Amino acid sequence: MTLSNEALAALVRADSVHKRVYTDPEIFALEMERIYGQAWIYVGHESQVKKTGDYHTTRIGDQDVIMVRAADGKVHVVYNRCPHKGAKVVADGDGCTGKFFRCPYHAWTFKLDGSHLSLPLKNGLEGTCYDPANPDFSMKAVARVDSYRGFVFASQSAEGPDLKTFLGGVASSIDNLCERSPVGEVEVAGGTFRVMQKSNWKVFYENLHDTMHARVTHESSFVAAREEAAALGEMPFELLIMDGNGEPYEFWEKLELRAYHNGHGYMEGIFDPTAATRDPVSRDHFAVLTEAYGEDKARQILGMNRHNTIIYGSGSPHTVFQQFRVIRPVSVDRTMIEIQTFRLKGAPDAVFDRALTYANLINSPSSNVMPDDVEVYKRCQEGNQTHGGDWVSLHRYLGTDQETPDGMVSTNGTSELPMRNQFAAWKQYMLNPAPTRQRQAQEKEADRATA
Amino acid sequence: MQLLDRTFDVSTAPVSGASLSAEAIRRVEQFLFHEARLLDERRFAEWLALWTEDGRYWVPRFHDQANPFEQISLFWEDKMLREVRVRRVENARNWSQQPLTRSAHLVGNITIEGLDAAGHLIVRSTLQLTEWRIDQRQLAGAVFHKLAATEDGSWKIVLKRVNLVNCDDVFANLEVFI
Repeated sequence: MTLSNEALAALVRADSVHKRVYTDPEIFALEMERIYGQAWIYVGHESQVKKTGDYHTTRIGDQDVIMVRAADGKVHVVYNRCPHKGAKVVADGDGCTGKFFRCPYHAWTFKLDGSHLSLPLKNGLEGTCYDPANPDFSMKAVARVDSYRGFVFASQSAEGPDLKTFLGGVASSIDNLCERSPVGEVEVAGGTFRVMQKSNWKVFYENLHDTMHARVTHESSFVAAREEAAALGEMPFELLIMDGNGEPYEFWEKLELRAYHNGHGYMEGIFDPTAATRDPVSRDHFAVLTEAYGEDKARQILGMNRHNTIIYGSGSPHTVFQQFRVIRPVSVDRTMIEIQTFRLKGAPDAVFDRALTYANLINSPSSNVMPDDVEVYKRCQEGNQTHGGDWVSLHRYLGTDQETPDGMVSTNGTSELPMRNQFAAWKQYMLNPAPTRQRQAQEKEADRATA
Repeated sequence: MQLLDRTFDVSTAPVSGASLSAEAIRRVEQFLFHEARLLDERRFAEWLALWTEDGRYWVPRFHDQANPFEQISLFWEDKMLREVRVRRVENARNWSQQPLTRSAHLVGNITIEGLDAAGHLIVRSTLQLTEWRIDQRQLAGAVFHKLAATEDGSWKIVLKRVNLVNCDDVFANLEVFI
């Protein structure tokens, strides 16, 4: 019994959401179908599959998929399932499958786009509908795959806006990350971290632009950084990035929050990029970019200061840290964060060193900042299971956000605009199942009815 | 960048042998047991004092990781970062340490490997670590200590490298030293 649209619509108010959206497994299952089954979801970066046969496994919502590089250079995304008995064709992780996929169960083989190649002892299928061209004998491709500047996205729905339209205003964050390279290209480098959170995926998205929590949640880490700096008599950048969360409320109120359609947005940076020109690493970086783009453009590139861009459903690229935190919902109360770090091709080595240090210090499992976040997310997850009330507040600066042609902008940096914007998108997805997915669901219902 | 100082010798392969008396080996073993105990008893100030000024604490993210300079690490910490970690876990408003992480290190299979290029003693041990904070977690792996002899006949840690068997796993937060 699927929740009716009326029931779903009633869960999201202008100023609050019902706690069920975080705790109800049935809603989670619907999200997998209606959000992760429709939206463009980041699968990985082309640099993770450099050569023919290279693959990277990941998940789109609750679906195991393989991103793979074919011989013609094209990147394909197929479901990780053999059409014979259903076995996952490749093990989770990254690898190279060579010229074709081969299922480890009965040696059915598939081209790198998933299409059927062969199987042993074909005689046994004579007189059946077996035909390599019959899609029932191929690994299934995800409905749509597209890439933006090397960032590969896939949509499980054949219909809907194209990738560029879907990204809207946040495409410029990907542009900025790439333009920080003098040749305009980045690659995943140095390895990825994977961190598990015991909370619903939406809590993490909401926290990314939550400016009111920093001073409170992160007191232990910014105080530690400040104590250490006082003992040292200086504030090296490793401490500075922990110190920022301790800014006074006035600082956060002055920040700008941008909200775009489809739940995306970004928050103005909390680290001073002009501080960058004062340190030798940034000076060298600036020099290389000036040579490539001219001084004005170089200044503009390094001056674009955004903290935690949100691509709703995919995660959060961070241009200054050279990271993409990929957010993968696991279950209603489990979320896996995969942290990718990028090398800016052609930039000085020291720039990557700094990205490595950011990666080790900021979002890694051993981060001194994140544990307090993860703890409060878990407390929300647990607190929302109690009978202590039904609604989650999104009241801050309600009605004060300004409309822009492509979304909204806050008038006060502590506005809960980002959360309201995310739930507007959530509602949009949840009330409008894609026709293809809806058909599949109806067919499933019909099958069950006739079973 | 000091933290990624590539002149720091992270190699744990001995360049020469070390011949220690049975009593000296016993003292090394006792030193390792003591180090683990300080962590288990959360005597972090004493633990911090075990290190050389430029000592490094390293938990690689990859099996057989060559160095912490080209790839990410689960931990790569100098004196400053070790101190910050201790300050944070001891801060009264450390929400993620309520309740505290409790641990029991079991250190065994201690072998003297030899000396590194600078003459530091390389010691290998196997670690079984049970950690509890709401959930119980098992961590295990091979640990390499590089030790510098002190004038009073004891040791200071130049490098502690923990090769976790599951270094490439999905992790919940790692808040305290392994």
